[in-house]
Amino acid sequence: MTNLALSFYILVWPMIVAIVLGVLVRAFVSELRAARREGRPLI
Amino acid sequence: MQLQQLGTPLTLLLLAVFFGGTFLISLSISRKRENADDYMTAGNHVGFGVSAASMTATWIWASSLYASATSGYTYGISCPIHYGLWGALMILFIYPFGKRIRTLAPHASSLAEILNARHGTSSQLILAGSNILGSTLSLTSNFIAGGALIAMLSPLSFSTGVAIIASGVLLYTLWSGLRASILTDFIQVCAMLGAVVIVVPTIFFAAGGPAIFEAGATHLTAEQQSFFSSEAFLNQGAPYIAAVLAYAIGNQTIAQRLFAVRPDKIKATFVTATIGYGTTVIGVGMLGVLALYLGVEPMNGDVNNLVPQLAAEYLGVAVLCIFFVMVIGSMASTADSDLSALSSIMMTDVYGRNIAASDRPDPRLMLLIGRATMIVATGAAVYFASARFNILELLVLVGAIWGALVFPVIASFYWNKVSNMAFTVSVLAALAVFFPVRFGWIALEGPVAFVSDLLAVIGVGVIAGLMAFGFFGPRVGRIAGILAAIAVLPFGMGFLHEYTVLTASLLAYAVSMLLCVAISWRSSEDFDFTRIAQATGRFDDGEDFDLAPVAATQGRPT
Repeated sequence: MTNLALSFYILVWPMIVAIVLGVLVRAFVSELRAARREGRPLI
Repeated sequence: MQLQQLGTPLTLLLLAVFFGGTFLISLSISRKRENADDYMTAGNHVGFGVSAASMTATWIWASSLYASATSGYTYGISCPIHYGLWGALMILFIYPFGKRIRTLAPHASSLAEILNARHGTSSQLILAGSNILGSTLSLTSNFIAGGALIAMLSPLSFSTGVAIIASGVLLYTLWSGLRASILTDFIQVCAMLGAVVIVVPTIFFAAGGPAIFEAGATHLTAEQQSFFSSEAFLNQGAPYIAAVLAYAIGNQTIAQRLFAVRPDKIKATFVTATIGYGTTVIGVGMLGVLALYLGVEPMNGDVNNLVPQLAAEYLGVAVLCIFFVMVIGSMASTADSDLSALSSIMMTDVYGRNIAASDRPDPRLMLLIGRATMIVATGAAVYFASARFNILELLVLVGAIWGALVFPVIASFYWNKVSNMAFTVSVLAALAVFFPVRFGWIALEGPVAFVSDLLAVIGVGVIAGLMAFGFFGPRVGRIAGILAAIAVLPFGMGFLHEYTVLTASLLAYAVSMLLCVAISWRSSEDFDFTRIAQATGRFDDGEDFDLAPVAATQGRPT
């Protein structure tokens, strides 16, 4: 396997983690806004 | 080797900010009069963002980060995937069963409580007892990991580190239980995932970038360089496949989040947590692969030091602080989940369904029991941590013990003929076979080895069958189980007994399945599953609670 491919193999995981983090933060913010709008607690 | 340290003032500041912040978050949702049901299930209506973050944070713990890196360092480039993928699939494979469980018992607090409604006390206490053991060991393991990290990265001692971590986690979890646990999980998962995004590439480039692979290739054997390493699969992947369903069924922390999430968000939550856990743990596992290429020798010969060692060597103070918060976050999120799980089991399975079974349980006493459980469990875990037992090995053992429970538990949720007798006998018999094999009290030779291999092959079929059954139903499950057993038969016979750890787990699956089916087959039991919903949850349906934060209502009537 080439160095480039191995580098990609090492670095692809943090990239996917960044996407998951983005999804979680977006969903959380949206739920927080909805809860405030409806005057109810988030949990 | 020059290792970067954080210094006492900076370490204490980071811990104060981390635990102070989580405490303030917990305070913002606290109620003057907590509701006992919400203390255990957070109201059964938590949204996707919080639930998925909580599930991810709970499943990622310090030991999984260290162990993934160790697997990469030991077995090479493919092994972090063998570690992270199967660990992640533990979450995914519980999803179809989770949906069924929520349908049967929408307001339950624990799996053991459902078993009480399904079978009675003995089945309930078998599961609850294993949950208590598992959560206490997990709590201890997290305290040990936290204490060791603080001792390595700062001048503070191991004992001081354990004491700070234990106090910090207890402080923010004690009052609001699961509600505090899952809300703070969101902050902790942001810290963990954010740190992986920053720390892994930073160490990679600081250590030399792509040139590492050229200069360090000589440090790897052919097996370690292979993506299809059989050593990596047999030593890491295969035992994990056997444990996939066991951990998911036996772990109350996952069950508790299953009961907390909105029913229509169960699928999204489980899928996201699967991807989040898998990629995070595999990402940290890549640090072990880098250590292998770099020819790093673990400090004091302890491979658990690899990740902190790489961080201390290649990261500057700022990124090292991020790394520190990542590990503390992974540890705290699992520790608070363990405390919530333990309190929930004591509140529901010990007090609510047994001690107070004939009377109406007192919600205030339940809350007191839950909080007292957290304090006692923290004290016990600090004691065990100070004794430095090999907790991880014990935890792996508990995971294997859970293998005896998987088939009877799942069958109990689908098959109306499974009786309390079938459940209890099959679990106890499976454990009676598991222990002698696992600890080598029986020599697996001659006819014993033949029978053991045959049962182990059936065990493979049980695991494959259950996995397929969850997603595709009983017909596909049966076919997958039979095909898997037939496929493994030719090379499993005469071979599997050489791997005693794996064999012991497979025997537990096989024996519990065979006995549970044999006893249930002719049983006259005809259980009505609709009874479960009426017999679970709802301990506290009295006056509703005060929604205002405690801080804002002190001194005023509510």
